[in-house]
Amino acid sequence: MASQASLLLQKQLKDLCKNPVDGFSAGLVDETNIFEWSVTIIGPPDTLYEGGFFNAIMSFPSNYPNSPPSVKFTSEIWHPNVYPDGRVCISILHPPGDDPNGYELASERWTPVHTVESIVLSIISMLSGPNDESPANVEAAKMWRENREEFRKKVGRCVRKSQEML
Amino acid sequence: MDSGDDIHDANDIESLNEDIESLNDNYDNYDDDAAAADYFDDDDDDDTHPAKSRRIEQSFTILKESDIRQRQEDDIRRVAAVPSIPHGAASILLCHYNWSVSRVNDAWFADEHEVRRTVGLLEKPVYDNPADAKELTCGICFEAYPLSEIETASCGHPFCFSCWGGYIGTSINDGPGCLLLRCPESACGAAVDQDMINLLASGEDKDKYDRYLLRSYIEDNKKTKWCPAPGCEHAVNFDPTGTGKDYDVSCLCSYSFCWNCTEESHRSVDCGTVSKWILKNSSESENVTWILAKTKPCPECKRPIEKNHGCMHMTCSQPCRFEFCWICLGAWRKHGGSCNRYESGEQNETEKRREMAKKSLEKYTHYYKRWASNQSSRQKAVADLQEMQSVHMKNLGDSQRQTELELKFITEAWLQIVECRRVLKWTYAYGYYLPDNEQAKKKFFEYLQGEAESGLERLHHCAEKVIQVFLSDDPPSPSEEFNDFRKKLTELTNVTRNYFENLVKALENVHDGNPCDLDKRPWGAGAMMNEMKE
Repeated sequence: MASQASLLLQKQLKDLCKNPVDGFSAGLVDETNIFEWSVTIIGPPDTLYEGGFFNAIMSFPSNYPNSPPSVKFTSEIWHPNVYPDGRVCISILHPPGDDPNGYELASERWTPVHTVESIVLSIISMLSGPNDESPANVEAAKMWRENREEFRKKVGRCVRKSQEML
Repeated sequence: MDSGDDIHDANDIESLNEDIESLNDNYDNYDDDAAAADYFDDDDDDDTHPAKSRRIEQSFTILKESDIRQRQEDDIRRVAAVPSIPHGAASILLCHYNWSVSRVNDAWFADEHEVRRTVGLLEKPVYDNPADAKELTCGICFEAYPLSEIETASCGHPFCFSCWGGYIGTSINDGPGCLLLRCPESACGAAVDQDMINLLASGEDKDKYDRYLLRSYIEDNKKTKWCPAPGCEHAVNFDPTGTGKDYDVSCLCSYSFCWNCTEESHRSVDCGTVSKWILKNSSESENVTWILAKTKPCPECKRPIEKNHGCMHMTCSQPCRFEFCWICLGAWRKHGGSCNRYESGEQNETEKRREMAKKSLEKYTHYYKRWASNQSSRQKAVADLQEMQSVHMKNLGDSQRQTELELKFITEAWLQIVECRRVLKWTYAYGYYLPDNEQAKKKFFEYLQGEAESGLERLHHCAEKVIQVFLSDDPPSPSEEFNDFRKKLTELTNVTRNYFENLVKALENVHDGNPCDLDKRPWGAGAMMNEMKE
């Protein structure tokens, strides 16, 4: 199983090097470990996150692609769908059997057809449009709903901080 | 049972029989209730009839695994009888509609298109693979494979065998959700049926899937349940249109339970009372009642205090340290050591509440004790019955020169005891919840319960103690004595059965929502009440 996962990840890494995708860059944290990726996501234009460079770690399980990776921002980021410790909470990263409350449609959850590219594109789309209905960071969701100006300032500080870290 | 009760007294049994006879006479005036009349006829039967149950017709069927598979397959075939529904699709449809063939048919013929959409049975592929392609790219591993190594669901999304295997295996190991598995393509809802599972999954995974499918047939079907006894693998199919309110089910494993609530059988007492009683027995509320009854709250900090000895001058523990009088709960300082003067209306709310709580605790303890003793007595009887069958029967057969059939009356007596202990146990839960203000009903119930109980005690004594002389190391040779014993035990079994049937019937009639019924029973209250006075 592990070899299928690493072959597939290697293939994706090669493809991304050859044909980079706009909006992010990806590589390995440690050249000897194909299961830990380091990605830098560029704050999407015309959003509060524009101009930021946000680093995140993607950790793949040994049974990838049958189970989803976890994604965790290492840069400070203020967003309703990112836990205060940086973990990203979006529906496609949840295994299909994982939602007993039925908040998410099965079709929105993880399936093995997802790739590093489709995951990162989902995260970029999350940055453009937060989903404040099932927030990971309740305070951020509240601020997003009730005090957009304060939210904007807080995100602005994260963007500047991310630029300084470059 | 009190050893003072003289079980050997034949007159005793005769008088019991007379009681029943007289009830019978009384009852004869009411011939319209045929079923009940039938039941009373038992009295006139000879000694040899089996310990039969009053039940006229079983409203349930016990299913072994092979029966379950057969029924499941039959249902799938009935759905697949529709020309446009293949076998695999029929199974998926039934999964979605709780294994109800009629629901599948209704939905299908009402709006086939909508059913196909929600269940994921596509009429034609939504993804067109190039018609002339010799190779296709797997949507998961992005490798190209010859067509023979690619498989698709009804949608046409191509994946290789190995990726399908991984996908299906992960889903099966996640649990019964695999029965509703869809194509891996995101947002594609095409169903993956058992034929595909069998083609693509590993042997172990196939078996698991098969198991889940079998379980789903029992668990998602409103007419079937697993037997709740630990380790039992049988299921029960229950037909609620049968006898109406009789929910008792006995599995082949010998466990009896209530179909409705799956607690152990509790016929004569309704499920609501049973669950209330079980909750009460387990709940913390009894602790609270105890605290209320046995303690007083500190008048200052309100913590409960139990007084175990000493004088009335109480000092609450740290950090409160409030000093007060245990009798009047006034501050000790103002009190000066006596509260002897009577002031009317002094007993306050707390005092009254405590008084009530104490009474209610006593009441509960009364019923609980009897409920629990019958429970343990029943367990003992089950063990005794087993010992009787495995050890004593053979010896008895040798020493008394009796055939197995001739000794059957002993087993029947024990089965009756086991059953009666169960019924009697639950009547104590019933009695506990009988409203205090319905005195007549309560009196009559307690009369029936008392009769049933003393009948049972006589029977239990006879089966447990009187038999001992024949089981001793030096048993009497085959004799009249043993025939007397047989007669006595058989009669006691019949008499006790009748008493319990009376009791059960009386209680069940009350459940039917006519609380006055107890007094109207044809064989009932009037006659019995008179006897009570005698």
